[in-house]
Amino acid sequence: MSNFLDRLKFFQKVKEPFSKGHGIVTNEDRSWEDAYRNRWRFDKVVRSTHGVNCTGGCSWKIHVKNGLVAFEMQQTDYPRTRPDMPNHEPRGCQRGASFSWYLYSPHRVKYPLIRGRLLELYRTERAAGKDPVEAWGAIQQDPNKRIRYTAVRGLGGFIRADWDEVNEIIAAANVYTAKTHGPDRIFGFSPIPAMSMISYAAGSRYLSLIGGACGSFYDWYCDLPPASPQVWGEQTDVPEAADWFNSTYIIICGANLPMTRTPDAHFAIETRYKGTKIVSMAPDYAEYVKFADLWMPVKQGTDAAAFMAMGHVALKEFHVNTQEPYFTEYAKKYTDMPMLVMLETDKSGAYRTGRFLRAADLSDKCQQTNNPDWKTLVYDAKGKRVVCPNGSLGFRWGEDGKWNLLPKDAVSQQDIDAQLTTIKDHDSVVDIAFPHYGVGEDPILKRKVPVRKVKTVNGEVLVATVFDLLIAQYGIDRGLGDDLAKDYDDARVAYTPAWAEKVTGVKRADLIRTGHEFADNASKTRGKSMVILGAAINHWYHNDMHYRAIMNLLHMCGCVGQSGGGWAHYVGQEKLRPQAGWLPIAFALDWQRPPRHMNSTTYWYFHTDQWRYERVDADALLAPTAKAAYRGYMLADYNVVAQRLGWLPSAPHFNKNPMDIVDAAGAQGAKDEAGISKYMVEQLKSGKLAFAAEDVDAPENFPRNLFVWRANLIGCSAKGHEYFLKHLLGAQNGVLCEGVEGVNSKEIKWHEKAPTGKLDLMVDINFRLNSTGAYSDIVLPTATWYEKNDLNTTDMHPFIHPLTEAVNPAWEAKSDWQIFKNIARSFSVLAEKHLGTRKDVVALPMQHDTPTAMAQPYGVKDWKRGECEPIPGKTLPIFKVVERNFADTYRKFIALGPLMNKLGNNVKGLDWNTEKEYEQLKELNHTITEPGISLGMPSLAEDIEVCDAVLQMAPETNGEVARKAWEALTKKTGIDHSHLFRGRHDEKIRFHDIVAQPRKIISAPTWSGIESEEVSYNACYTNIHEHIPFRTLTGRAQYYQDHEWMLDFGEGLCVYKPPVDLKSHYDVPASIKNKPYLVLNWITPHSKWGIHSTYQDNMRMLSLFRGGPYMWISEEDAARGGIADNDWVEAVNANGATVARVVVSQRVPNGMAMMYHAQEKNVNVPGSNTTGKRGGILNSVTRVVVKPTHMIGGYAQLSYGFNYYGTVGSQRDEHVIIHKIEDKDVDWLERELTPERESEPNPPGIKN
Amino acid sequence: MNLHDFFFGVYPYLAGTVFILGNWLRFDREQYTWKSDSSQLLSKKYMRVASNMFHIGIICIFFGHLGGLLTPHSWVLAAGITDLAHQYMAMILGIIFGLTCLTGGIMLWLRRLYNRRIRATSRLRDIFILGWIMATLLLGLSTIPVSWGHAGHNDPATMIALTTWAQSIVTFSPVPAAIAGVHLAFKVHVVMGMTIFLLFPFTRLVHVWSVPVQYLGRAYQIVRLKRVLAR
Repeated sequence: MSNFLDRLKFFQKVKEPFSKGHGIVTNEDRSWEDAYRNRWRFDKVVRSTHGVNCTGGCSWKIHVKNGLVAFEMQQTDYPRTRPDMPNHEPRGCQRGASFSWYLYSPHRVKYPLIRGRLLELYRTERAAGKDPVEAWGAIQQDPNKRIRYTAVRGLGGFIRADWDEVNEIIAAANVYTAKTHGPDRIFGFSPIPAMSMISYAAGSRYLSLIGGACGSFYDWYCDLPPASPQVWGEQTDVPEAADWFNSTYIIICGANLPMTRTPDAHFAIETRYKGTKIVSMAPDYAEYVKFADLWMPVKQGTDAAAFMAMGHVALKEFHVNTQEPYFTEYAKKYTDMPMLVMLETDKSGAYRTGRFLRAADLSDKCQQTNNPDWKTLVYDAKGKRVVCPNGSLGFRWGEDGKWNLLPKDAVSQQDIDAQLTTIKDHDSVVDIAFPHYGVGEDPILKRKVPVRKVKTVNGEVLVATVFDLLIAQYGIDRGLGDDLAKDYDDARVAYTPAWAEKVTGVKRADLIRTGHEFADNASKTRGKSMVILGAAINHWYHNDMHYRAIMNLLHMCGCVGQSGGGWAHYVGQEKLRPQAGWLPIAFALDWQRPPRHMNSTTYWYFHTDQWRYERVDADALLAPTAKAAYRGYMLADYNVVAQRLGWLPSAPHFNKNPMDIVDAAGAQGAKDEAGISKYMVEQLKSGKLAFAAEDVDAPENFPRNLFVWRANLIGCSAKGHEYFLKHLLGAQNGVLCEGVEGVNSKEIKWHEKAPTGKLDLMVDINFRLNSTGAYSDIVLPTATWYEKNDLNTTDMHPFIHPLTEAVNPAWEAKSDWQIFKNIARSFSVLAEKHLGTRKDVVALPMQHDTPTAMAQPYGVKDWKRGECEPIPGKTLPIFKVVERNFADTYRKFIALGPLMNKLGNNVKGLDWNTEKEYEQLKELNHTITEPGISLGMPSLAEDIEVCDAVLQMAPETNGEVARKAWEALTKKTGIDHSHLFRGRHDEKIRFHDIVAQPRKIISAPTWSGIESEEVSYNACYTNIHEHIPFRTLTGRAQYYQDHEWMLDFGEGLCVYKPPVDLKSHYDVPASIKNKPYLVLNWITPHSKWGIHSTYQDNMRMLSLFRGGPYMWISEEDAARGGIADNDWVEAVNANGATVARVVVSQRVPNGMAMMYHAQEKNVNVPGSNTTGKRGGILNSVTRVVVKPTHMIGGYAQLSYGFNYYGTVGSQRDEHVIIHKIEDKDVDWLERELTPERESEPNPPGIKN
Repeated sequence: MNLHDFFFGVYPYLAGTVFILGNWLRFDREQYTWKSDSSQLLSKKYMRVASNMFHIGIICIFFGHLGGLLTPHSWVLAAGITDLAHQYMAMILGIIFGLTCLTGGIMLWLRRLYNRRIRATSRLRDIFILGWIMATLLLGLSTIPVSWGHAGHNDPATMIALTTWAQSIVTFSPVPAAIAGVHLAFKVHVVMGMTIFLLFPFTRLVHVWSVPVQYLGRAYQIVRLKRVLAR
């Protein structure tokens, strides 16, 4: 009643005292207990997860109380694992458990926001009687008006807007841009669809319908390991975490399991209980080191050298000194080790390795009439002759039944014995020059190799097996008379453990022991040795060398494709399990094909003008043995070449509006696609039409509209952050150099004055106002992970999992699907008048997993240099005409279109019919009843309908579709794979099923592993156990890459390449020169308190550590720089500066500074004293540098695929200058925006 | 009514009413605010000395005032304590505990103002109430020289007047005139002292009520009856 009156009854005895007065009974008020009981009381529980960027894919119980999310807890109802394995749960980390804070946090975007000045301009134009598109045009055509809002990006000034008005503005901008510049000037960026597939698909579907370009992310994040497509022709496929438990020997490098794979780290720990040895290779004392039996602290960026040395041990002991039968069998069947490589001579007459010998090289073409240029050869030790075995790329297209890895002669289908080495029956032994990049060592390794003579149509050539080349390159002495390593302690010879000790700092004894044990274990277990690897070794410029060194070791030991063995790379790839069902919806393939895709690394490299600042000399990267047709070219020039040869995509494509190009072609009489294509070839040849990249700084080639959703492009992933601010956005920036290097470009027109503020409009769709939102013009409030229905899958576990709407989106937020649906509606209204129906031409690169991956079999021919004719699909992109009825965009958006019926579906080069699924979906989803083009089609208006459409169309979730997909593959391989889906043929997983419980997916040929009761999911399992070829030139896992550019850059075989000197730390600011400073390697690993399921600015996370930005350095470096723990320091180089507090720790080795990924500008970031601008983020001091070998296309596995192959955005080779800032000098920049400040976007002294 | 009568005839009842009702209401309605707001967690430096001195001093002063002012005159005399001895007792104990409290109080006051962590977490009323107590204490100490003068002249009249007045207040027959002639320092001290009671329910002082004295004689085992939930 009343607390006070109740207290007055305190003395009233309830019962007599007991135990002689030692105990009494009271009736005191207990209502205070409600406080803690209510904290954990709830109204309902909903299943969801954290879905932008987390590999966890954890099942969470979201507890809702009073209509608000109160807290979340781990779910524990995953389907079981196999009987002899530990279960998955509990899964879910502290970061995920803190996410509910975020829903109602101060960072939450509650209403649509727009830059006040932009809205003012727009309303003024509208009030003057202009329609929305004209109004937008009037602002864009007047530079004085435009700069009013572009110059203040990042400086606040948002006002609340209403949905209708911002949708109209966005639609007007899109219509104006498509009409004036071309739809390919509209760009969208969103990462990792697997984490919330429908949200991703919302934006990409809208963009694909209107002809905008979607940017890739996996390569841009540098999470794509290009080595995977290079070696396996596979984007990335990895074992589920449970498979770690099946391993008996694990090396871990670059992946911090307990921190970034928190929910699954238990499998790594559990496997130790059954005796599995774990070796860690972290340079720092990372958390996972604690779980290891052996720690080999490797100098950062030198992992390749360590693995080459271990490979040296494995090769020597198990392939040369003795031949382990399992390894030999594996090498013959599943690797290119027996494949024959032709030798070439350079000008001096010295031998170097050339390309694979092909069937077409022999006079009888090995009786191959179909694609003889793309069939590689081996020497059959049984028949004692060169034969063409099954399975190489040439068998994949144009014929059926021989694309498999059975060791058979393709002609006779008789068993062969592919010879690994000619050491015993060689025709001669020759010296071959292998490129070498060891610091201070001879750039050429001269090695003796046994070779065989083969008669070809071009006369007699020398050929060697990849195996023999490999042994020579690893420096293993075979008694051929060259002065190679006699033992492991021979530090003179590259790739011995002693040599690697010099390079990596790891004790040779450890390398020898680990190399031996790894191989020995694999030989005894048939391949159950595993390497878990990740971002820390992948984010380097020469990441493919790190990875290939590891893959080599795995292949030598027969581990790849074996349960408990192989590689386990977990960096952001996020297996999009129902990919085949999702793709048509995400890229509107149900209405029109092809969509526009762009590789983001190249895109940002060009459009943020980072290429202008390129200090890395491409020539310096060439091998001494290179043919180097492009000597003297800048890295950017290589990319221009790659675009015009149809290797990499382009956006914008050309210096003209693609719709105007079609119109012009029509005016010249072109009637169909072939005619338009012919017209374009002529125009390109004559120079009247040019690729946009050739004059990337011209206004007609600017990107104009940018959508960012589900991403933090500016605040996190923008390598070269300050260049983004300067050139793309025209904002206050910290770029500290002038960018004059680009003047040397051979392919790109030089503009003395670099353009700034290229974007007309940037739209951020987000639930948090982060650094990306801060620089945008419009911010739209979206639903969080607990406020929408969506799908989620990961490679860490084999389940498909939902996100579910636990509560309605708070405030005025809407789900991404609804947001883009509404934009599509506004767009359709405005497009009716301004765009109508137009034909658009898409320049499509030669795609991986299509026959166009067989474009140029022999060397690089460049039409622009007159070396060949420009032929679309061979030496030029493919030109595809797409008709767009822009006014129907909305109607198309909300329905599954007719092409699913007409053309069916496909994935990875397998096609199947989907008529039945389409008809079923009409009944399940209901159909569109509004009149118009989509009347009667299955509805995609609501998110659950979209989820169900994806699940219905995907083989992973629809057993009948799995049957069709596997049968399509059986046709190609000639092998019956039906046992892989048989038990689950009738199963159909639907959205409400996975809401009830996560479901295990059905095996599909999209993936190289299977779901079964016998094995855990493991990458490349079907390549080995089903004899499905790798999607490479040889059909095998390839040690050897024979493309001309691969050989030019010395990467035919894996070599050790030291980190690249990016030279940005050469610019020491004058104010720092006279005080102590440090030059440290800039390492940006994942954060313990941010990645991936919440954000570092979450108060709960900030409370745990330092409460703001920080970077780690070693104790000795700190002492050298006069820096104490928690001091403010500035990291600065030519790219910009960032200010943070310093953590001085024994954990960190000397020479390295670590700043955790995704610490951005919004909490406690002061100004930089050097730039005078806001202190920066981790990427303020980085700049992206592209690598020519990643640009190769139209060449088997080296062919472009969206997020599959292409340039990657590495950033770990960077160095910074670090110096202390006195507390009194910390400047928080809390000053008014004055016209003077507004007109000075650059740091002091920077002119351009 | 003149100001004197208001302050010494009405104000005591005003302050007393606010004190009683305020505490009651706060206890009933704002249970979560019923606490001492200790800042010991944020900084322990000198805290043991400062806090103990302040608390010992102020508790003794409180009971000294209570006993000295409210014990009926006849009881005091019956106990064999002359008025003059009474006055000397009051002065000497006042000096001892007043200075103890003052030392501790100044330390706490400095800590509250100049320790950055404490200052950052202090609300205005925390700083204010400590200041008010210290000001009252200083005024109280400032009356001692006056009293000492009186005592030197064998004149306990002022003390008798103050006890007479105090007892008239608690017996609900206020005689403000009883102290009309006392030194101004006494008057101001008395008003400020009463104001502490007025402010009491609005500050952290409420923790005084919750001194866990029952712990001294509590049974070892306490069994609470099961809470009866809605039937």
